[in-house]
Amino acid sequence: MTRTTAELMAFAEDLYYDLDFKSVKRWKVKTGGHAIGFMPVYAPREIVHAAGAMPVGIVGAGDWLEVIRGDAYYQSYLCHIPRSTIDMAESGRLDFLEGMLFPSTCDVIRNLSGMWQIVKPDMYTRYVDVPQNFTDGVGGQFWAHELRTLAQELGERTGTEVTDERLRASIALFNENRRAVCDLYSLRRDEPARAPTSEVYLMVRAGLVMDVEDHTALIREYITAARNITPPELDNARVIVVGAFCEQPPIGLIKSIERSGCFVVDDDLILISRWFTDNAAETGDPIEALALAFVHDSVPTAVMYSAKAGRGKAVVERVRVARAEGVIFAAPSFCTPALLDQPMLVAELDREGIPYTAFKFAENAGQFQPIREQTGTFADTMKLWSVA
Amino acid sequence: MNSIMAGGVDVGAAAVKAAIVRTDNEGSDELLATHVERIRRRDPKVVINDTWQAALEKAGVRHGDVEYIATTGDGELVTFRRGHFYSMTTHARGAKFLIPDTTLVLDAGALHARSIHIDHRAKPLGYRMTSQCASGSGQFLENIARYLGVGLDEVGELSLKSRNPEMVSSICAVLSETDVINMVSRGIATADILKGIHLSMAGRFARLIRSLSDVGKLTFTGGLSADVGLVAATREELDKEGVEIEVRSHPQSIFAGAIGAGLWGAFRHAKLLAKTA
Repeated sequence: MTRTTAELMAFAEDLYYDLDFKSVKRWKVKTGGHAIGFMPVYAPREIVHAAGAMPVGIVGAGDWLEVIRGDAYYQSYLCHIPRSTIDMAESGRLDFLEGMLFPSTCDVIRNLSGMWQIVKPDMYTRYVDVPQNFTDGVGGQFWAHELRTLAQELGERTGTEVTDERLRASIALFNENRRAVCDLYSLRRDEPARAPTSEVYLMVRAGLVMDVEDHTALIREYITAARNITPPELDNARVIVVGAFCEQPPIGLIKSIERSGCFVVDDDLILISRWFTDNAAETGDPIEALALAFVHDSVPTAVMYSAKAGRGKAVVERVRVARAEGVIFAAPSFCTPALLDQPMLVAELDREGIPYTAFKFAENAGQFQPIREQTGTFADTMKLWSVA
Repeated sequence: MNSIMAGGVDVGAAAVKAAIVRTDNEGSDELLATHVERIRRRDPKVVINDTWQAALEKAGVRHGDVEYIATTGDGELVTFRRGHFYSMTTHARGAKFLIPDTTLVLDAGALHARSIHIDHRAKPLGYRMTSQCASGSGQFLENIARYLGVGLDEVGELSLKSRNPEMVSSICAVLSETDVINMVSRGIATADILKGIHLSMAGRFARLIRSLSDVGKLTFTGGLSADVGLVAATREELDKEGVEIEVRSHPQSIFAGAIGAGLWGAFRHAKLLAKTA
């Protein structure tokens, strides 16, 4: 029986609020598989999957965990995600993991990988040093080497060798998952009242703690259910949200943006679900395929070096494709990649005459009225005073 | 240009206000009907529907005749809305409709107060708002009225009769409420207590207003705009500070948000029609 969007949302909400990761634990019992955690923004989930493990996205504890132990590890002005992650580790919530991957997202995540080795000395911990050079012979070669090492280490840990055949199958599954997520994003872009971001976000985020095939089926089911509803006819301002690719905003913040009169028609939330802009090759050497996909088809974002300084233009292009009227910069407090990128992006928006507004948030923010005020007046500005 | 019929629904913390307007978006704006219902302890969605139906009946029109329904405040509760505007934007437009030479707006409602500086198009140029503190809010005044056994609609007139206002010692709502209880036990006249409370609130309002401008024509909007004692106290406080701000209220001021939402809705409707033409 097909579930309604409300029923699917209830399912996704349960996963969102579950800091005990019960869905992953159930999967482990059922399959006998392992679980390897990864921090934002990018980790090669296909390799984890091919090693017989579920890649589990660890994106902080949101606004429903009181951080006590985590504050002892980090300065109070830093972003919130490392302290809530350490707190979850210290309280035993992440003991179900057999390993943890820390991508080279920023200095804080790199530092967290060091902390992790102190807090969890028996757990497999790896700093995933993604390349910042995007030529095949330099960055591509380096990344292929890193991926081979990771595949070998994970295979030794889980007891499941990452063969080419297994890895090609995993690549195909994640390609299919990415296509489903992109279809969902297209549906929201074209009919945002049918698939509001507060729902799309939870649907996509569910994939961090689900088996990839089950998640693909969930996304497809939601798309079908959303197409069956009669959406309200709303005259909202179309915006894209930029900057929340690592620490995630609380769901209340996303709802506040929508309630203030905005349709969020594109975003960079849970960016790993759409990291490659094209499918990774499902034939040939699968390690090479992943390496080349990374250097050729990674989505432009602040954690990736861009010699062509094209990220401003990329945001303008996203605005155009999404038929957006403005941009909301929503960056976590002290998120150096997002906040250092912002002036470049803003300069390009200024050149193009695209309106924008900016605020900072923390994953545990509980008071949204000021943000609602800001995005509400921003939406009014676009709807009432823009020349378009 | 053809006239457009639009509706505005202002969902506040204490009451739901609805307005139905007709406009050609070129200066000919007409207010067809207004209606207000206090929420009390009822389901806000039921109150919203009742308020809207009553406004339709007063205007003598059907729901389907209204081309654009816009909300303001907690508008997501209004399932039949087309658009939503932020309350500052709608109160500015509503105030401009009610008193066209308005340059400053003071929106004082159940939970907060906000001063807004606007231009000739009713576009907000700047604003100041009270924080989370309850003093200076309608809820605070309602609590005081309850302690004194006075109906909310009697508060304003009683305050105007005060001869010797008793000032509260603190701007904190919690401490002020304790103050009021002490005043009652000391036998202070109700009118003097209310005037003291009004002056305390007006002092906060004056600071909000003066942080935007020392000159202008101010229109009071929001639920507290019907409180003639509070409007008079605000006038007194600003006069005392020697600024050139004329303070006015309008019999329909409590509907400014709903009226503004309706008028902006009509404006938006015309804009969308022009886009698709």
